[in-house]
Amino acid sequence: MSPDNVLYGTPLYRFVYELAGMVLPCWISYVAAGLVIMFILVNAVLMGAAVFVFAERRLIGRFHNRVGPNRWGPFGTFQPFADVLKLIFKEDITPATADKIVFLAAPIAMLAPAILMLAVVPFAKNTALADLNVGVLYILAVTSLSSVAILMAGWSSNNRYAMFGAARGVAVLISYEVPVVLCLLGVVLVTGSMSMADVVEAQAVPFLLVQPLALFVFLAGVSAELNRTPFDVAEAESELVAGYHTEYSGVKFALIQAAEFGGVVTASMVVVTLFLGGWAGPLADYLGWFWFLLKVGAVAFIFIWVRATYPRLRIDQLMAFAWKFLLPLSLINLFATALEVFFLRDSQGVLATNDLWIMTGINLALGVGCIALFGGMIREKIRPVRWQPAAGSTASLTVGEVT
Amino acid sequence: MYGTGMAKGLLVTLKNLTKRPFTVQYPEERLKQHPRFRGEEFVWYEERCTGCASCAKFCPLGIIKIVTSPSETAPAQGDKYRLEVFDIEIARCMFCGLCVEACPYDALFMGSGFEQGQYSRKEMVIGIDQLRQAEKHPSTFFRPQLESAGYNPHQGQPLHWKDVGRESWRWHQQEKAGMRLESAPGSGNLDSIEAVDDLNSPDLGGTAEASGASEQTP
Amino acid sequence: MLFQDIVFWVLSVLAIGASLGVVLVKDLFRAALLLVVVFIAVAGFFVLLSAEFLAVVQVLIYAGAIAILIIFAIMLTRDVQHGNLPNRFQIPAATLAAVLLAVLVAVAVDTKWDLLAGQAQSRAQAVQTSAVRTLESPGDLAGLERAGFATEDERTAAQEAGLADLLIGDFVLPFEVVSLLLLAAVIGALALVRPR
Repeated sequence: MSPDNVLYGTPLYRFVYELAGMVLPCWISYVAAGLVIMFILVNAVLMGAAVFVFAERRLIGRFHNRVGPNRWGPFGTFQPFADVLKLIFKEDITPATADKIVFLAAPIAMLAPAILMLAVVPFAKNTALADLNVGVLYILAVTSLSSVAILMAGWSSNNRYAMFGAARGVAVLISYEVPVVLCLLGVVLVTGSMSMADVVEAQAVPFLLVQPLALFVFLAGVSAELNRTPFDVAEAESELVAGYHTEYSGVKFALIQAAEFGGVVTASMVVVTLFLGGWAGPLADYLGWFWFLLKVGAVAFIFIWVRATYPRLRIDQLMAFAWKFLLPLSLINLFATALEVFFLRDSQGVLATNDLWIMTGINLALGVGCIALFGGMIREKIRPVRWQPAAGSTASLTVGEVT
Repeated sequence: MYGTGMAKGLLVTLKNLTKRPFTVQYPEERLKQHPRFRGEEFVWYEERCTGCASCAKFCPLGIIKIVTSPSETAPAQGDKYRLEVFDIEIARCMFCGLCVEACPYDALFMGSGFEQGQYSRKEMVIGIDQLRQAEKHPSTFFRPQLESAGYNPHQGQPLHWKDVGRESWRWHQQEKAGMRLESAPGSGNLDSIEAVDDLNSPDLGGTAEASGASEQTP
Repeated sequence: MLFQDIVFWVLSVLAIGASLGVVLVKDLFRAALLLVVVFIAVAGFFVLLSAEFLAVVQVLIYAGAIAILIIFAIMLTRDVQHGNLPNRFQIPAATLAAVLLAVLVAVAVDTKWDLLAGQAQSRAQAVQTSAVRTLESPGDLAGLERAGFATEDERTAAQEAGLADLLIGDFVLPFEVVSLLLLAAVIGALALVRPR
C-alpha cells in the first residue's frame, strides 16, 4: 500500500494492514484491514440504531409526560435487544403471490445505504474508512439508492396499500433530494472541496452559523428522506396500514427498522460533519471521537424533539413544502453563498475566518428573512365558509316559524 | 403556521421534559380507585346471607349459581338456608352491580380490587370458599350506609358483618317510624353498634302494640 | 495488482450477467432491478479507472434517478409481466447481435488506448479524479504531490484541470445547450400535466 492510497491516513487501517502484512501477502492484508474497519462501522450503525431506538422511546415518553420503557434491564436499556429477539423469533411470512427474491432483497437494499454512508464520515482526526475527494457527492448518491429499495419493497409485496405507500415514499424522496443537493453545494462552495475531511478542517466557524439556511434545508430534507415524522406519509402509522413494509414480519421487519433508525444515526453523523464541525473541539487530537459522539447525540435529540412535536404533513403539503419552500430557500442560499465567496476570497482563493464571520451575519439575516417570506407564501389560507341555506327551503326558518 | 408557531410548539414540548411524568408504575404502585369502584372480587358476608338467591335471580347474565339446603337456623325469620354452592363466574361478569342492588340483607357487596385475572377460564370462577376466606373490603356502591360513614375500601380496615348493614343506619329506622332524628345521618360510628333486631326493637314506636294487637286477633 | 484484477473480474461477471438478465428475464420489474445492478457495476469500473467523481455521479444519476424513472414507467403500464412474445425475427436478430459483438470486441482489443501525449494524459487523469478545485485548501498541495504531480507546473495544471473549470471554460457551449434541453424537458412535463 502506497502513501497515495486514500486509506493510508487512517491509523487503525494502517495498524491492521501492517499487522496482517507480517504474515499475509500485500493484497490480502489490504482486504483484511478494510474488513476490520467495515466490521466496526456496520456494528456502529446497528448498535447506534439500537441505542437510538431506546433513546427515542424514552425521550418521546418524557416529551409526552410519561415514562418510556423501563422494565427490561436497568432503566430499560435491554428493551431494543428484547425487541430484536422478539422479531427474530417471529414467524417470517412471505405472501404467496409476492415476488420472493425481490421481497427478500428489499430490506437488505434498504439497510445498505445507511451503512454505506458511514464510509466517508471522519470520526476523528485522520480517521475515516475512505477519505474520498468526492465525499459529499458520495453521500448524496448513496441516499438516492434507498428510493430503489423502497420501490422494491412496495412492488414485491403485491399489495396495493404497500404500493401506494412506496410510490408516495419515493415521490417524497426524489422531491427532497433536489433542495438537499443544492444546499450542500453551498457548503462545498465555502470549503472549496468535496472531501469530508476538508469540510471539517475548513470549519473555523461552524457551518451552522455560516450557512444557517443550508442547515435548515438539510435537516428538513433529510427528515423527509428518512421518512421521519412529520414527513412520514410513506409509513403513516395511522393510515395505509403500515405503508411499504405492511407485508414484512420477523427478521425482515427488524432489518427495515434497523435501516430506518440506523439511517437517522448516520444522517446525524453527516449533519455533524458538514455543519457542526465534526470532531472539532478542545483536545480534539485525542478526544475527537468523544466530541463527535456528543454532537451526534445533540442532533439525534433534535430529530426526536421534532418528531414529538409536530403532526404529520399531508402528501400535498409535503410536496408544497419541498418545491415551494425548500427549493427557493436552497437556491437563494446557493446564490448568496456564491456571491459572498466570489467577493470575499483573496487572491489565493482562501477564505479567512473574518470572512466567515461576515458571511455568517449576512446569511443569518437572509435566512430569517427568507424563511419568513416563503413561509408566509405557502401558508394555507383557509377562510371559514358561511353556510347559506337555499332560498325557500325549510332550513332558513327560525324555530317556531311556520310558512 | 410555518413561522414562530413552529418554534413555540418546540418550546412547549421541551417544557414537558422538565415536568414529572404521570405514569403509575404498575406492579409497584397502583392507581387509586374511588370508593364506589365496582371491583372484580365480590364481598360476601355469610352471617347476613339467608340463601334467598335474589342475586342469582337478578343477574342479567345468569352467572351466579346457588345451591342450598335447609338448615333449620333462624326459623322465626323464615329459615336461613345453608349454602353449599355459591359460584360467581367473573369471566362473563359485567360488574353491573344488579346482584348487589338485589340483596335484601346487605350480604353481597362489590369488591374493591381489579387484579383477578387468571390464566385459564376454569380459574375465573369465584367459589364459596374464596368468598368466605377473602379479606372483606366492600365497595360503597349502592351502599349509602358505608358511604355516609366515610368508609373507603382502599384504605380502610376489613369490615365486620355487623357494621355493614342498613340496620346500623339508625335514622333510616326512625324515619320509617315517622320520628325525627336528633343527630345527623351517618353520625353513628361503626365501632360500637350492636345488632338491632328490627321486629322486636323498642325504638319502633307502636311495635309492641302491633304485636300485642296481633296476639289478640283470633 | 492482484486485488484489482480480482475486483475487475468480479465486476465484469456481475455486469455481463446482469445485462444478460435484463434482456432474458421474463418479469419486467426484475429486469429493471438487474439494470440497477448493471449501473452499479459500471460505477465500480469507473472506480477502478480512478475516476471516482464519475463513479459517484453514475450512481447518483443512473441508479438513483433513471432507474426510478424506468420502474415508475413499468408500474404505470398494465400487463407488463409476460416477457417477449415469440416472433419471426429471433434468428436474424441473434445473428446480427453476434456479428455486432464480434466487431465491437475486435475494435476494443485492437485500439491503442494510450494515444494521448504525456501532459494531456496526466491532465485527463486529473480531470477524472478531481471534481471541484475552485479554492486552494491546505490539503491540496500535499494531495497533489501524493498523486504524483511533482513539479509546480504540473500542480498548477492539475489544479486548473478541474471538471468545473473545463465546463465553464472550454466546454461552456455544450453546458448551456444541455441546460436548455433540461428546461425544455421541464416545460414539457408541466405542459403534459396541466389540468384542462
